[in-house]
Amino acid sequence: MVDVPDAAHMRALGAHVAALLAPGDLVVLVGDLGAGKTTFVQGLGSGLGVEEAITSPTFVIARAHGAGRIPLVHVDAYRLGSTVELDELDLDADLATSITVVEWGEGKVEQLSEDRLVITITRSDHDDDEVRTVVFAGVGARWTDAALAELSPAW
Amino acid sequence: MSDPLILGIETSCDETGVGIVRGTTLLADAVASSVDEHARFGGVVPEVASRAHVEAMIPTINRACAEAGVGIHDIDAVAVTGGPGLAGALLIGTATAKALASALDVPLYAVNHLAGHVVVDELEHGPLPETAVGLLVSGGHSSLLLVRDDAQDVTALGATIDDAAGEAFDKIARILDLPFPGGPWIDRAARDGDPTAIAFPRGLTAAKDLAEHPYDFSFSGLKTAVARWIAQQRSAGAAMSVPDVAASFQEAVVDVLTRKAIQACRDHGVEHLVIGGGVAANSRLRALAQERCEQADIVLRIPAPHLCTDNGAMIAALGSKLVRQGAAPSPLDFPTLSVLRVSTVVMHEQ
Repeated sequence: MVDVPDAAHMRALGAHVAALLAPGDLVVLVGDLGAGKTTFVQGLGSGLGVEEAITSPTFVIARAHGAGRIPLVHVDAYRLGSTVELDELDLDADLATSITVVEWGEGKVEQLSEDRLVITITRSDHDDDEVRTVVFAGVGARWTDAALAELSPAW
Repeated sequence: MSDPLILGIETSCDETGVGIVRGTTLLADAVASSVDEHARFGGVVPEVASRAHVEAMIPTINRACAEAGVGIHDIDAVAVTGGPGLAGALLIGTATAKALASALDVPLYAVNHLAGHVVVDELEHGPLPETAVGLLVSGGHSSLLLVRDDAQDVTALGATIDDAAGEAFDKIARILDLPFPGGPWIDRAARDGDPTAIAFPRGLTAAKDLAEHPYDFSFSGLKTAVARWIAQQRSAGAAMSVPDVAASFQEAVVDVLTRKAIQACRDHGVEHLVIGGGVAANSRLRALAQERCEQADIVLRIPAPHLCTDNGAMIAALGSKLVRQGAAPSPLDFPTLSVLRVSTVVMHEQ
């Protein structure tokens, strides 16, 4: 669990996590509207060396950023109804060689991989600060306790 | 001699659009939407959008021809959206256009969707000025364009760095329990609200942000601020005026859009602003843009709402302009480019 004080640190956390990800990894981002999911993905992209702007993929559902160290597939499942539809995006084609990050993917993308990293971002209860709490949880053999522990930076 | 008859095809997203234009005169604008189809599936699915385009394509072409009172053999040139857009959806339009152009033995123009949103205004307000600034705001795009040399030279001045403006409307509508698409509902709710009730942030307008992003937009921070404000009111059990939230949120969006558009005109010595895209239907955006353009001595042009949303007429209008300018047509083997840069108004060999 990590406390993230502001948006700049959320980007830094994304970059830190990027360094620990490998081709084939599936990351599911959980958090309310405005929690900071896209900010996290922007940091992850910069950590991978993606130079173009990472904008919301909501309208196009999925956007591929191929120019970094490892290709990044950024998916927004917000407008998708169920698992069946996500299959029709042909995401599997990129999964093995890319890092796939899915926003609003809970209950929709679990079948895409046996292993996945679930990152939950919650806003603080205090009204006026920007603090977020980020929790890492792993599913499958890929995400051992040791691998998960590395994800929290030593701030 | 009358201008050639141009058929335009648009399939970059949910709408199957076919327009027929002669010169700058709109003869037909037929649109079929796959939104109902998506509702059946409980959401938007790119694959479903593509299949819906396949089913709607030929009937929509026939409907456009009937509306224009022309036969398919009367068409002198075909224009089609080559990008940007959903790859699978674009493919249906471009395959149809290629087949049509080769069967009719007429030139084919693969054009840029964003440039189409600007040039479509010629159908309503006559020829564009030599130079204009274009503000494109929709569910998928938020861009400021510098349109020079009678739309033969288009450069991107700025764009959103996170969410598109229309997307912000949809997401805030969802938090306020208003239906999808959110734009018209927020517009309606805002009419009874006070736009100064809540001071929501104006993205990328602080001095240090303006230095780095003079013409870029950001709506993610605004979305977060609105979500947080609503959550606070709800958890405090405080009464919340939906019209006030809608009006204050809408004001924050249109304030930044118009301010940056006018600044772009001033900085580049441009006297004409064209606004297009679905968000251009927003009544407060239209009113505030009109007010600020008058103050700044800028001529504002906004097409009617049905020409602001995606349609085939805008592609036909751009095709018609290219034909009048004597532009070279696209080769039949042009690819569809989901990320086509706006500087490519018409696609030629790479």
